[in-house]
Amino acid sequence: MSTKEEDRRIELLQGTLDLLILRTLWLGPAHGHAIAKAIEFNSEDVLQVEQGSLYPALHRLIKRGWISVEEGTSENNRRAKFYRLTPKGRRQLVVETRKWDKLVGAIARILRPKKQEGEL
Amino acid sequence: MSRRKRMLEELDQDIRDHIAQETQDNIDRGMSPANARYAAMRKFGNVTRVKEDTREVWSFVWLGQLLQDIRFGLRMLRKSPGFATVAILTLALGIGANTAIFSLIDAVMLRSLPVENPSQLVLLKWGARNEPNTHGYMSAGDCANDMGHGAQNPSGCSFSEPMFREIAQANVFSGTAAFANSGRLNLTGNGPATVINGQLVSGDFFRTMGLKSAIGRLFDAADDTPSAGPVAVLNYGYWQSAFGGSRDVAGRTIELNNVPFTIIGVAEQRFTGIAPGSDYDVWLPLSDGQRISPSGPFRWNDRQADVAFWWLTIIGRLKPGTPLAQTQAVVSGLFRNEMLNGSVPLFHPGQMAGAPAPRPPAGDGAQIRHEMVIGGTPAPVRSKSPTSLPTPPQPAPGNGPVQTSRETPGGPMPQSAGNKPVMMLAPQGAKPAGSPHPSEMARGPKTLSTAADNPEITLVPVQSGLTGSRTRYSNPLYVLMLAVGIILLIACANVAGLMLARAAARQKEMAVRLALGAGRARVVRQLLTESVMLSVLGGALGILFAYWGAHSIISFVSSNQPRPLGFATGVDLRVLGFTVAISLLTGILFGIAPTFRSARVDLTPALKEGEGSSASSGRSGRRWFSIGNALVLAQVALAIVVLVGAGLLVRTLANLRSVDVGFDSHNILIFGIDPTLVGYKVPQVDSFYRDLQGRLSETAGVQSVSYSMMPLLSSSLMITSFHWPGAPQDQESEADALGVGPNFFETLHIPFLAGREFNASDFKLSASNDGATPTSAPTPVIVNQAFVEKYLGKEYPLGKHFGESAGDANGPASPGYEITGVVRDAKYSDLRREIHAMMYTPQHMGGASFELRTAADPQALLPAIREVVAQVNTNLPLFDVKTESQQIDRLLFQERLVARLSGFFALLALVLACVGLYGLLSYEVSRRTREIGIRMALGAHPGSVLKLVLRQGIVLAIVGAALGIGVALGVNRYLASMLYNVQPGDPVTIVSVAILLTLVALAACYIPARRATRVDPIIALRYE
Repeated sequence: MSTKEEDRRIELLQGTLDLLILRTLWLGPAHGHAIAKAIEFNSEDVLQVEQGSLYPALHRLIKRGWISVEEGTSENNRRAKFYRLTPKGRRQLVVETRKWDKLVGAIARILRPKKQEGEL
Repeated sequence: MSRRKRMLEELDQDIRDHIAQETQDNIDRGMSPANARYAAMRKFGNVTRVKEDTREVWSFVWLGQLLQDIRFGLRMLRKSPGFATVAILTLALGIGANTAIFSLIDAVMLRSLPVENPSQLVLLKWGARNEPNTHGYMSAGDCANDMGHGAQNPSGCSFSEPMFREIAQANVFSGTAAFANSGRLNLTGNGPATVINGQLVSGDFFRTMGLKSAIGRLFDAADDTPSAGPVAVLNYGYWQSAFGGSRDVAGRTIELNNVPFTIIGVAEQRFTGIAPGSDYDVWLPLSDGQRISPSGPFRWNDRQADVAFWWLTIIGRLKPGTPLAQTQAVVSGLFRNEMLNGSVPLFHPGQMAGAPAPRPPAGDGAQIRHEMVIGGTPAPVRSKSPTSLPTPPQPAPGNGPVQTSRETPGGPMPQSAGNKPVMMLAPQGAKPAGSPHPSEMARGPKTLSTAADNPEITLVPVQSGLTGSRTRYSNPLYVLMLAVGIILLIACANVAGLMLARAAARQKEMAVRLALGAGRARVVRQLLTESVMLSVLGGALGILFAYWGAHSIISFVSSNQPRPLGFATGVDLRVLGFTVAISLLTGILFGIAPTFRSARVDLTPALKEGEGSSASSGRSGRRWFSIGNALVLAQVALAIVVLVGAGLLVRTLANLRSVDVGFDSHNILIFGIDPTLVGYKVPQVDSFYRDLQGRLSETAGVQSVSYSMMPLLSSSLMITSFHWPGAPQDQESEADALGVGPNFFETLHIPFLAGREFNASDFKLSASNDGATPTSAPTPVIVNQAFVEKYLGKEYPLGKHFGESAGDANGPASPGYEITGVVRDAKYSDLRREIHAMMYTPQHMGGASFELRTAADPQALLPAIREVVAQVNTNLPLFDVKTESQQIDRLLFQERLVARLSGFFALLALVLACVGLYGLLSYEVSRRTREIGIRMALGAHPGSVLKLVLRQGIVLAIVGAALGIGVALGVNRYLASMLYNVQPGDPVTIVSVAILLTLVALAACYIPARRATRVDPIIALRYE
C-alpha cells in the first residue's frame, strides 16, 4: 500500500465511523460485512471504509454499551455475528447526530458566509 | 468467561468470516476466485493491525508493547556497543553531576528537620515598628534577625525567659520549647580538658521535638528547675567520638566550666540540633545556664527574671485541630500585653558597686558603647548609608549564623561558641544597663514598647523560618546547579547528535518497518523507548558518580570547618525521584528529534537506495547535516558559558589570594584560650596572658608571641563608637576595634609609622579605666592609617585625645583615648571587606587568641606549646588551633569550592563539546567518503581535503564561541555578587577562554581531517 494513495483518502475521524455504524444499525440489526456494504452503498461509494477498521469500532461500541451482539445466520446461511442497537445506543445516536449537524453547520458558515457572493 | 475474553477469542473467526463474505461477493460480481480473495483482503486492510487495534480497545495492551519495545531496544543497543557506551557514559556524567549537586541542595536546603512531624512546629517571631527597649539581645543566628541601626520594622526570634514561661503556661501549644547557645564550655573529667559547644534547652524541649533517646533518658520538666541537680544529654556523634560510644555513660559525671554535671542520656542519632547545620555536643537545662556562666551569678540573674533581656528562641508544636491563626492571635496577645504593660526593671546602682564586678558594666559610660559586630560583614556594596558613617553591617542573608548580643557597654564578650560568629548591636538611644538614668528614675518604669509600634508575634513554620547555616551555602549551590544544568544540556545535545547519525544509518530499517505496516505512532514510541532506556541506564550509572561526587564535596567542605557539618547527605527518596525524572526527561529530549525524523522517512527512495549513495546524501543528508551543525553549535556555545563563568570564579579566587593583607601571614600559629571558663577573674586574666606570652616566647622555635581578642581574618570583628571632639554632642563616630597584647604588631610584622607599642603601664592603665573607678588618664590606643585619614587629616596624630566624656545624665565620666601610635593598614575580619578606620586597645580581659610566629612549620611546634600551657594550668584546653594560612583558607572556602567545582565542570563541558564536534566531523567524513574519493581521484590535493574538513569544524567552533560569549555576557551578570576585582564582562577571561576553546576544537577537528586525507580513492569509489 503506497503512502500516496493514503493521501487521497478522506480520513474519517474515529467518532464519525461510530456514528455511521449506529445509524446503519438503526434500521435493524446487521452483521459486520453488511454494515460495511451499507455504508458504502448509502454514501454512493464516496465513503470507502477500510473494512478492517470496522471491527475496533464495533468493539468500542460494544464496550460502551451502545450496541449488543448475538449469534445469527446470514443471508447465505453462514454463521455470523449480528450487531443490534441498544436503547442507550438509540439515545446516543440522536445526540451524536445533533453534534454532527452542529459541527457541519459551523464549518459551512465559515466556508460560505451568506453575505459574500462569489465562488469558492 | 469475561466479555472481553469472549469477544477477543472470536475475533479471528469474525474476521475470517468477513473476508470470506467479501470474497464471495466479489466472485458473484464476476471476479476470479483468486482475484476475489485478493481484492477482499485488500479491501479489508491490515489484518494484524486490525486485531491489534481491537485488542487495544479492550485492554492496556500498551504495557505488553512497552515490554516488547524494551526487549527490542536492548537488542539494538547490544548490536552497537560503541554507540551505547559513549552515549551512556555521556549521559551518566550529565545526570550524575546534576544528581550530586541536587543531593547537596536537598541536604542543605530541602530536607526536613530531624524531628517528629516537623510541619506542626512553628517558630515565634516578633515584629514591631520600632525596636523594643530591651537591655540585652542575643540570638544564635537561627533565624533572620532584622535589627540594628535604622532598621525599618525590626523583627527577630529572641524572647525573654519570663515571656517564654508565660507562653508555655498559657498552654496554647501541645508543647513549647525554648533554647539558646550556652557559650563555650570547658569540659573536664573525661580525659584532657577540651572546649565544646552546648545548647541550653527548656525541660520540654525533647518532648516537644518528639525525640527519643539512644541511651538513658532525655530531659523532662523536672530537670529544668533551679532546685534540680545539673544534668546533661550528649549528642550521639559526640558520644561516639569522645566517650567511645560506651553504653555505661549514663550516670557518669563530667565538669563543665568547673561545675559537675551528671550525664543522663544520649540523644538519638539523627538529631544534632534543631536549626539546619547546627551540631551541638551537649544539651543542658535552661536553669543551669547560670551555674556555668563564667561571669558568675551576677549577670545571669538578670536573664531568668528580666523581661528586657531577650535571649531565647521559642518553638511550639501546634495543637492538632486548632487553626494556626487562632494560636497566633493568642500568643501575639500575650506578647503585646507584656510589651505594653510589663515594665522594664532598672538596674540599681547598688547592685553593681557591691559585686566583685567581674564584668564592670559601667566602665566607659554611656558615651562609649562597645558594639561588637562580628560575623561575615557584608561587602561594602550592601552598606546602606554610603555617606560618612558606615552603618554597622546588617546581618545580611548571605553571611551565616549570627549571634546577636546587645550587652551593656564594656560588657562581657559574648562567648561565641565554636565557629558561630557573633554580632552585637546597640541600638541608638538604648539605655545601657548599669547606668541608671536619673531622668528615667524620675519618670517611673517604662515599658518595652508602645501601642504605636504595634508589637506582635507571627508564627512561622520552622522548616522555613529556622534558617541556620542554610544561607551560607545557598549561593554557591545555586551557581553550581546552573552549571550542571548546562552540562546536562550539552550531554543531551551530544547524544542527540549520536542518535541522529544512528538514525540516518537505520533509515532502511525504518522504511521496511513502515512498509510492512507499522503505524507511525508505534514506531515513534519504540524509538523513544530506546532513547529513554539509554538515559535510564545513564542515570543508573550517574547515581554512582553522584554518590562519589557528593561525598568528596562534603569532605572538602568539612575539612574547612572546625566543627563537623550538621548536614547529613545520602541518596534519599527525593534525590532518587529527581534522578529518575531527569533521566526520563533527558531521554525524551534528545530522542525526540531523531525519532520524528526517522518516522517521517520517505519510503520508496529509502528502500531503493544504498546507504552511502550521494543522491540520498544530497537531499536528506543535507537536512541532517544542518541539525547536526546546530547541535554542535549549541554545545560549543553552552560550553563557553560555563567556561567563562568558571574563569571569572577562578580569577576571583586568585585575586583574593593575592590581596595584600597588611601583615605577614606565613608561619603564624593561632590558638584560642579562655581562662575565664575555669574561673579566672579579670586581674588574674591579664597577668595570666602576659605570663603565658613570656613563657611561649622562650619556647624553642618561636620567634615572637602575642595575643589579641580575636585573630585577624577570622571573619569576626568588633566595632566601637565614641564621641570625636568637635563633632556635635550627640553624633557618634565609629571605628573598628581590637584588643591586643604586647608585641602584637611586631609578631604580625605590621610596621609602625609613628609612635610605639603598648608597654606594661599601658595595660595597667587600660585595666583600671575599664574597672569600677576609671582614672583621669586616657586609655592609650594605636590607630591605623585609615583612622588618621578619616578623623585627623593633616593633624598630627600622636597625643590626640578623643572619646572623653564628662559625667552626665548618660553615665559616669570617662577619660577617653589617646593615640600613642600609628600603624600601617591591615585587613581585619575578611579579605573582601575594605579597610576601615581601626583602633587597637590594650587587652586585659575575656577570651583571647594567641598568635605565634615560628621559624619553621607552625604545626610542628604544637605539642611543645600545649606542654607550655599545661605547665601553667592543666585544665586549660586550647581550641580553634590553626595556622594563619589555614585561617585564610577557611575564609576563602566558599570561593575555593566554587572555583574548583566550576573549573571541573567547565573542563567537562569543554570535553563534551569537543567530543561532539569530533563526532560530527567523523560522521561527515565517513558519509562523504565517496565524494572525497572522487575529488582525490580527480586530482585534489590532500591539503585541500584537509582544509575542507577543518573549515567546517573551525567555522562551527568560532560561531559557537561567538554565540556562547553573547549568552555568557548576559548570564554572568548574576555572578557579580560573588566576584572580586573582576567584572562579569572581563575581556581577558573571555579572550583566553575563546582561545582555549579554539585550540581544543582544532585538535578535535584534526583527527577526522587526517582520516579524510588518507582516503584511498579506489576503495572510496567502491564504497557503498
